[in-house]
Amino acid sequence: MSHQPCAIVGIGQTHHKSRRWDVSLGGLVREAARRALDDAEMDWDDIDAVVIGKAPDLFEGVMKPELYLTDALGATGKPMFRVHTAGSVGGTTGIVASHLVETGRHTRVLAVAYQKQSEGNAQFALGSGKGASLGAGGAFAPFMRSYIQRSGAPLDVGPMVAVKDRLNALKNPYAHLKLENISLETVKASPMMWDPVRYLESCPSSDGACAVVFTDEAGGKAAAAAGRQPAWVLASAVRSEPASFPGRDPVRPQGAIDCAAEIYATVGVSNPREQIDCAELYVPFSWYEPMWLEAHGIADEGAGWRMVESGATALDGDFPVNMSGGVLSSNPIGASGLLRFAEAALQVRGMAGEHQVDGAKVAMAQAYGASAQYFAMWIVANSLDPFGS
Amino acid sequence: MATHPPDDIAIIGWHVSPMIRRTELTEAQMLLEVVNGATAHAGITNADVDFTCAGSCDYVAGQAFSFVQNIDAFGAWPPKRDSHVEMDGAWALYEAWVRLLVGDLDVALVTGSGRSSTADPDIVYPMEMDPYYLAPLGVDAMSFAALQARVLLDGGVVTERQMAEIAARCRRDARANPHAQVAGDFDVDALLAEDYVREPLRRHDLPPITDGACAVVIARADKARELCENPVWIRGLSHCAEIHYAGLRDLRQAESITRAAKAAGVGDAPVEVAELQTAFTHEEPLVAAALGLGADVVVNPSGGPLAANPIMATGLVRIAEAARQIRDEGRHRTLAHSTSGPCLQQNLVCVLEGE
Amino acid sequence: MTTTRSVEATIRFPYKRSLGPVMGAFMTALTEQRFLGIRSGERVLCPPREWDPDTAADLSADDLVEVGPAGTVESWTWVSSPSAAHPLDHPFAFALIRLDGADTALLHAVDVASPDALSTGMRVAPRWKAERVGHITDVEAFVPGEVPQGGGGAGAEEPVTMMDYDAAITYTTPVTRNEMRAEAANAEGRFLGLECPACARVYLGGRGFCPIDALELGPEHEVELSQRGTITNYTIIEPVQYPGQTETEPFARVHVLLDGSDVILGYQPVVEFPVGDVRIGARVAAVWNDTKVASGGGIELDGWIPTGEPDDTDPNLVNRIC
Repeated sequence: MSHQPCAIVGIGQTHHKSRRWDVSLGGLVREAARRALDDAEMDWDDIDAVVIGKAPDLFEGVMKPELYLTDALGATGKPMFRVHTAGSVGGTTGIVASHLVETGRHTRVLAVAYQKQSEGNAQFALGSGKGASLGAGGAFAPFMRSYIQRSGAPLDVGPMVAVKDRLNALKNPYAHLKLENISLETVKASPMMWDPVRYLESCPSSDGACAVVFTDEAGGKAAAAAGRQPAWVLASAVRSEPASFPGRDPVRPQGAIDCAAEIYATVGVSNPREQIDCAELYVPFSWYEPMWLEAHGIADEGAGWRMVESGATALDGDFPVNMSGGVLSSNPIGASGLLRFAEAALQVRGMAGEHQVDGAKVAMAQAYGASAQYFAMWIVANSLDPFGS
Repeated sequence: MATHPPDDIAIIGWHVSPMIRRTELTEAQMLLEVVNGATAHAGITNADVDFTCAGSCDYVAGQAFSFVQNIDAFGAWPPKRDSHVEMDGAWALYEAWVRLLVGDLDVALVTGSGRSSTADPDIVYPMEMDPYYLAPLGVDAMSFAALQARVLLDGGVVTERQMAEIAARCRRDARANPHAQVAGDFDVDALLAEDYVREPLRRHDLPPITDGACAVVIARADKARELCENPVWIRGLSHCAEIHYAGLRDLRQAESITRAAKAAGVGDAPVEVAELQTAFTHEEPLVAAALGLGADVVVNPSGGPLAANPIMATGLVRIAEAARQIRDEGRHRTLAHSTSGPCLQQNLVCVLEGE
Repeated sequence: MTTTRSVEATIRFPYKRSLGPVMGAFMTALTEQRFLGIRSGERVLCPPREWDPDTAADLSADDLVEVGPAGTVESWTWVSSPSAAHPLDHPFAFALIRLDGADTALLHAVDVASPDALSTGMRVAPRWKAERVGHITDVEAFVPGEVPQGGGGAGAEEPVTMMDYDAAITYTTPVTRNEMRAEAANAEGRFLGLECPACARVYLGGRGFCPIDALELGPEHEVELSQRGTITNYTIIEPVQYPGQTETEPFARVHVLLDGSDVILGYQPVVEFPVGDVRIGARVAAVWNDTKVASGGGIELDGWIPTGEPDDTDPNLVNRIC
């Protein structure tokens, strides 16, 4: 096996807003990339290859935007690669970049993911401009109803997730939604948009970008020696499954179960709740937190909501989830997956500021897409051997 | 028999769909045929495939998330390790190749697919240009090609007669290619007597509009040996991009091709055949020169994109054709090239070898 | 049934782009009938961007310099039949034009009567639109000579920060043979199913293949499906307004499990079923709409209407959603 360690030494993101009308598309991605390069103490010249990820091109009306953004991201004379795996694309972007380093293809790789939703209209584009669409909320609502009924979860669990993530977002300077007065009451009083999902249990529509600099073992160790803690990519995995066939369970998708099992096995995790310190999970609608806790084996089947209810997933709980405020607080769709992956890395680097989990050494991140059928996950840690094996 | 390090990766099967002006199949149905064809060619089943990677484009399909329906063609149950690039299938092969290099998986299936017939290319392709300065002018891919052709004509790199000769040669060679859409004997003088479509480009300088798909199966060395008597080894694979806005570039050059060729080791040994994604006649001498190919190299014996141009699969078909030259035509070392964007903006080079 | 047909749909995309500091200044200058380039080292780049295209180094709006208005054609092509997306509706040229004072070429249209009037190295000047909004098409086209044409009026009162971009693409998508057979069945008020010979799963008839076994399914796999079923799950949607939205009041979408099968139809509309009454277990039947038959169309599914039968009380119904 030619697999070699890969380190994250630079992370950058934009301030996420509903409309970043102060920047062009190039300006938006460069804002995140520049911050990641600065964090890595690198310049454009230091990067060997660029991987770009984003969700549908119809959202901004720019087909294959990696072409236009080649020189904006310093990829003139370099490999420029574009992935698109629906909502999981940000995760895939990071994973492909990490593989380019792990296989020795390149020494330093810049991964960038973005969406500038304000340029178009996502609801409109989801229907491909051909008429009405249900929106993502309408598509996922039956899955959440199924979860609620089969788990017997109290109806307050969804609103509790919505409150928790927005409180975390107040600690994240880059987060889009800053809801100072968020409470169970305000969430429950908000309009029922896609029964059983309320307005305040849903993600916003954001403009934003995220960038991550990956490097090899030598680069990671050099950063560590210079006092800049790297995050090591210990495991990553992806899974896809067809959207619709008799026997598929979209509440507890086999792809999610398999994907999580693979990263746990790679790292030697037998009890994720004990051995992993925190997680950034793709939760665009509140109920997805307990659903993913169960599908990823962090909670037993039917018990994910108990972790939420007990406060275990709060920033000061024993298994914090979505410390950044999550997708519920910022949702530049194509970037949302990489933001999850980047936040996990920030946590183990100890660089998450006010939303830092004390002593986080091992973190996992997940992104999912389409009809809950595309999955990307990774585990990052502050050392190559966090469990001292 | 030569031994190969375990990290060597080989092409062990492929399938090219019929190349036609207008399919009556969905993209998933087109993929179904090539996926099953390629696994059969490799002597494996879907269950043997550890990783799938598809290349396709929402704007070609006319639908957001269009590739999500295409996963249905992969038999992805139990769920598969899978990815998708909004690029030609040649880049999907690049991702799959890197994925196998990680070392934990043995077999990957790669596809490229597109139904170009569903919309007017002159309306679709301006959408991939600079969204502020170019797309609002509706500058289409053919116009960009014509601007580069004139620079090459003015610079003496090529003549209109040479361009017509390239068209005639490609369509003549395409007669032996069962997948060709445009093939036949054409008289160069008659071609040169035709009107321009985008001066200095005539009809014969342009590719056809093609619906089609291609799938390729690759495997790590040990598995390739186990499954296949004559694997086609991927000796080098690299890609590189240039500045987007054509007015900022020297259109007489294609430096990203030279860089990719160097990284792929094109010059390490003689190449016998080159399958180039040169959809416009004038691109062939530019690309061949940038790759450093000698005059003895056989270029596009399949007819190339001038014979069939299934957007999002054209590059992957080049790789399949270059592999076929080794497997079926007794060649030892061949090359495939893929490109994307205006005036050959982004390029991929793949070097293949037999035993 | 052997001739294929296709469906035509035009997708109109209304986009609004923010320009950022450098392109915003360029577009603002266009309203003033001026061209700006941007200095990067020894070179002046036009059109200007926020980064050096070779090094990606930041370029600042402070480094903008005026160029043109006349320039030299470096390459051109003749567009004998313009597309709907092109800036002129009669034959014209696209050209790469190096404006005086710039080191790079701007791509734009050149308006001349015939390609005979064009040559590499020729001199051109802009013909300005009378009304300029800060858009690359404020230059109607370039014309031969040194002297700008057209224009008049004042520049923008406020700096230009945004631009509109509208694209319309018409897609002609084939209707597959399976879809046509499924439609023909619908026209007779029937649902067609396709049963996979490998896994025995049944799919609604238009699909044409089994996604599990990656097998083609055709006429030999057809089975009849019931037009009655049970609601297994649903959502009530509060409509959000966006281009193309046709709903104004809360509406239901239900999942229906067809009787005697595992086939689920997801996100279905309901008929004569108030949103407050929509529930899991309700028995429903397909309602067909024949208003298009008179004009040669087929019968279409309107939605699902309550049958009045007793509800199905199976607690597992809610999980039948795929």
